[in-house]
Amino acid sequence: MTPIAQIGGGLDQRPIRVLIVEDHPALRGVVRSACESDPALAVVGEAITGHAALDMCETTDPDVVVLDLGLPGMGGTEVARRLRQAGSRAKILIIAGPTEDDRVFECMRIGVDGYLGKSAGTEQITGAIATITRGGRVFTPEQEARARDQLGAMARRAREASRVAALITTREREILELISFGLTMKQVATRLGISPRTVETHIAKLYRKLGVGSRVQAIARAASLGLIDLEEPER
Amino acid sequence: MAKRTRSPVEDQPPTPRRRLGVILVDPLHVVRAGLALLIDDRPDMEILAEAGTAEEGLEAIRRIRRARVVVLVGLGLSGDHDAYWLIRTIRELFPSMAILGCGANADANAISRALFVGADGYVDKNVDPVEFLQALRRVDAGEMVLVGPPSEWVGAIANGIDRSREADVVLTSREREVLIVAAEGLTAREIANRLGVRERTVTTHLARIYGKLGVRSRVAAIRAAARSGFVTVAPHE
Repeated sequence: MTPIAQIGGGLDQRPIRVLIVEDHPALRGVVRSACESDPALAVVGEAITGHAALDMCETTDPDVVVLDLGLPGMGGTEVARRLRQAGSRAKILIIAGPTEDDRVFECMRIGVDGYLGKSAGTEQITGAIATITRGGRVFTPEQEARARDQLGAMARRAREASRVAALITTREREILELISFGLTMKQVATRLGISPRTVETHIAKLYRKLGVGSRVQAIARAASLGLIDLEEPER
Repeated sequence: MAKRTRSPVEDQPPTPRRRLGVILVDPLHVVRAGLALLIDDRPDMEILAEAGTAEEGLEAIRRIRRARVVVLVGLGLSGDHDAYWLIRTIRELFPSMAILGCGANADANAISRALFVGADGYVDKNVDPVEFLQALRRVDAGEMVLVGPPSEWVGAIANGIDRSREADVVLTSREREVLIVAAEGLTAREIANRLGVRERTVTTHLARIYGKLGVRSRVAAIRAAARSGFVTVAPHE
């Protein structure tokens, strides 16, 4: 038994083991001193990159990972996603910058347990860690309301995508994909072994079905409906 | 006669905001009766219609001609058409109506499906009456409502919507036409005559429908298409 545990909640109580993942030294210091101020908490490690965080999670098996969203390289959401995919039992507390507020919904989908802003003080941090360790969630009512709205918007988009997908033929989808890669009409024709004129006809039909007037709009709309994937996978 | 006569409109007291009309569609009689009592008791709401099956519900909705309507759909509806079929159909035919799914401890999957097919929210029958009524008002105000399920379900429900979308089977309106006529028990040739197309075209459509629905027979196709809200009807090109 470690000394910290004895200071913590009596002899029979293990401390809550916390891994801090934050690249910014000052903010890392804030989280560390918050944890040190609470005898029930023990910092088992600190990481400044996503990859290091994943490694340390395996070696230290923390109860709680305090995770910065804005890590360089592999971002916090990706770290959280990989932890959940790997079946990690660690609770995840996100620390987000002010501009990253719209990622609450994404984080909820990944299955994080709490979400604090970078302005969070010592007591907010330790309180949040205590709450999520007990199985609770730390989201503000505003964050929850916004997430519900985003859920509604997502459902509408999914429904619309289904409707549009029913209209689009296999050939049209093929062409859509090719133009999203940046191929010209002529290149698409060559690739598919059909005449540019035919490609043009397909594209005109596509525009009508998607309700757009240009190639850029078509790609944007198709991507927003999830008919094509524009995002590059993160490292 | 210098004095201007007041129009009849001005004689009336200022019109109070119109009451919120609620249509109840739930398989359980006692649930409908209880909710009707609860809702009719409020000064700002009234029950417009009640139905115990999806078909009756749709019939009732077709007769309603007014603004500010919330349809409360019990997810437990079953039979030839289920709750998801009803929600999807209302969403297509009456886009301005608010639809609130309602269930007793429904799981995240059921809620995902309800939202995907067109519900504006979900309220659980286990919440207290004040919250239940508030959910109706909020959905009427255009809010996305999720009352009852724990807040951490948002993520699971969102993931369920993605799965619903993958599972969604979409028939074109021509395919649906063929299926509807086929449901009358006509042969491919008879269907072709009825629709004014070649027999070959009909068999091609049927094969494509079977493929989309993952079935091998006409009866199975009709059942699969009719039963659930998982069949979208896309407008014909």
